[in-house]
Amino acid sequence: MSGVEDLTILCFLGITKESIVDVEAMVRKVEQKIESCSQQDVELHIERIFVISQAEPRLPLQLEDAVRPDGEGEEEGRATVNQDTRLDNRVIDLRTTTSQAIFRLQSGVCQLFRDTLTKKGFVEIQTPKIISAASEGGANVFTVSYFKSSAYLAQSPQLYKQMCICADFDKVFCVGPVFRAEDSNTHRHLTEFVGLDIEMAFNYHYHEVIDSITDTMVQIFKGLRDNFQTEIQTVNKQFPSEPFKFLEPTLRLEYTEAVAMLHEAGVEMGDEDDLSTPNEKLLGRLVKEKYDTDFYVLDKYPLAVRPFYTMPDPSNPKYSNSYDMFMRGEEILSGAQRVHDAQLLSERAQHHQIDLEKIKSYIDSFRFGAPPHGGGGIGLERVCMLYLGLHNVRQTSMFPRDPKRLTP
Amino acid sequence: MALRELASLEKYLGLKKPNKFSTQGDKKVPVMQNNNAPPLVGLVTIACHLVKEAKRPELLGDSAEGRAVVQQWLEYRVTKLDSHAKEDIKSILKDLNLYLQDKVYLAGNQLTLSDVLMYYGMHSIILDLTVQEKEQCVNVTRWFDHIQHQPGVRHHLPPVVVLRNRLYTSRHH
Repeated sequence: MSGVEDLTILCFLGITKESIVDVEAMVRKVEQKIESCSQQDVELHIERIFVISQAEPRLPLQLEDAVRPDGEGEEEGRATVNQDTRLDNRVIDLRTTTSQAIFRLQSGVCQLFRDTLTKKGFVEIQTPKIISAASEGGANVFTVSYFKSSAYLAQSPQLYKQMCICADFDKVFCVGPVFRAEDSNTHRHLTEFVGLDIEMAFNYHYHEVIDSITDTMVQIFKGLRDNFQTEIQTVNKQFPSEPFKFLEPTLRLEYTEAVAMLHEAGVEMGDEDDLSTPNEKLLGRLVKEKYDTDFYVLDKYPLAVRPFYTMPDPSNPKYSNSYDMFMRGEEILSGAQRVHDAQLLSERAQHHQIDLEKIKSYIDSFRFGAPPHGGGGIGLERVCMLYLGLHNVRQTSMFPRDPKRLTP
Repeated sequence: MALRELASLEKYLGLKKPNKFSTQGDKKVPVMQNNNAPPLVGLVTIACHLVKEAKRPELLGDSAEGRAVVQQWLEYRVTKLDSHAKEDIKSILKDLNLYLQDKVYLAGNQLTLSDVLMYYGMHSIILDLTVQEKEQCVNVTRWFDHIQHQPGVRHHLPPVVVLRNRLYTSRHH
């Protein structure tokens, strides 16, 4: 690693910035610490240098500009790089210390997810992404031509996770792409993202599922906090944020409590209304202020706003055994106990005006003995974004896909 | 709008016999029928008259300076506030927030007519602010919450919820 002074010597030799070089050098101790370098106690006295790959002289963006915090750029009149330029030249942008830290941390999230669940006895499964019917509800699917007919790209592994439970796998998880053809140009939506999905059979109550999921999340948070501090600090240098706070055991509120908190804060909403994004964010702030946590679960959502395969609450038909989880006031997981009875499932589907023919094989999987089960799915990019306190999911997606971007 | 305010003001002042109000012109300037004299025109004129009728002169200020400040805010209400454009809201809140930094009331150390009429005038603006915006103009919110809780002031207007604790730390974007 060389400081700026040494680069100028190399440029003098005709070696352009970002070129790959092999160096034979003597490592010497230095009296005074070299502040501008990562290795501060030694320097390399180059004896021979070979250029392995010469970079073109004009780089599309300068790495120093790309790591500069936005505020600093404006104050000192130096350049920063805007998001579109970064994404158009992603290969160079990914070389910055911040990007390296973000994606190493993201790799850690996947690793912790797999390790924690494997320790809990879960089996990793792979589900098909080319499917014959839209799983979450018609509108937002990508259609692909499939020989002489059409097929769809899976919006979630939902149906297949459940079929695995019916196939006696008891506890499963899968890590794979999810495709949502939503024309949403927001800071938190991508058309393709990595889904980390969990599904498990339970013995007495669906809260066993919630406990499993929240414990997994807490283990991930702890793992990141304990093993990725360097990465977190590096990201914070360019994008300052508060450290992520969570409680053990995880805070769990009921939907009705949340509505009461919002009413108290002057928000007008009906008891069975879904939470709008601004209300979710406000609720996150209220919860943070009251309980001092950035991560919590909201249990017992109204049945009317959940998908057809959600199990209704046996004690109150207006509500359901479903839950959402939030990080820093933004939703990261939507989950529920699923309907495992074929008869009830058909009724719920008809109530939602879904064509039973289209989901026949799904309903059939519950006809030959199915244990009560539930689960949920999180988005890898969103979790990383919110854990680090970043503000755009494209920062945590290596080659993001949105309605306006298909390359690189 | 102005008529309902004047009706509420009458109730606040404890005036037993309600006066007759009407409006004139497309700006709906309020007019009050005055038995022996020519009718009174204008929100501020009528409001000041009502205060005198209720024999509550302290509501117009307790000193020469206080009275001048009260009149200043009454004028502000009618000229700047009533015909404000959406873009002006930010500057109105900023000015008020700065002014109220070290004051409990707009004029002097007790409630005056200026607080009441400014409260009526600011209500629609404050009602539409998000929690975060209310926290950003914390002095205005504090003053507003204080006035809306004064007994007898808030008649025709719904209460605006003001939270006790700050939700947004200064580092929040």
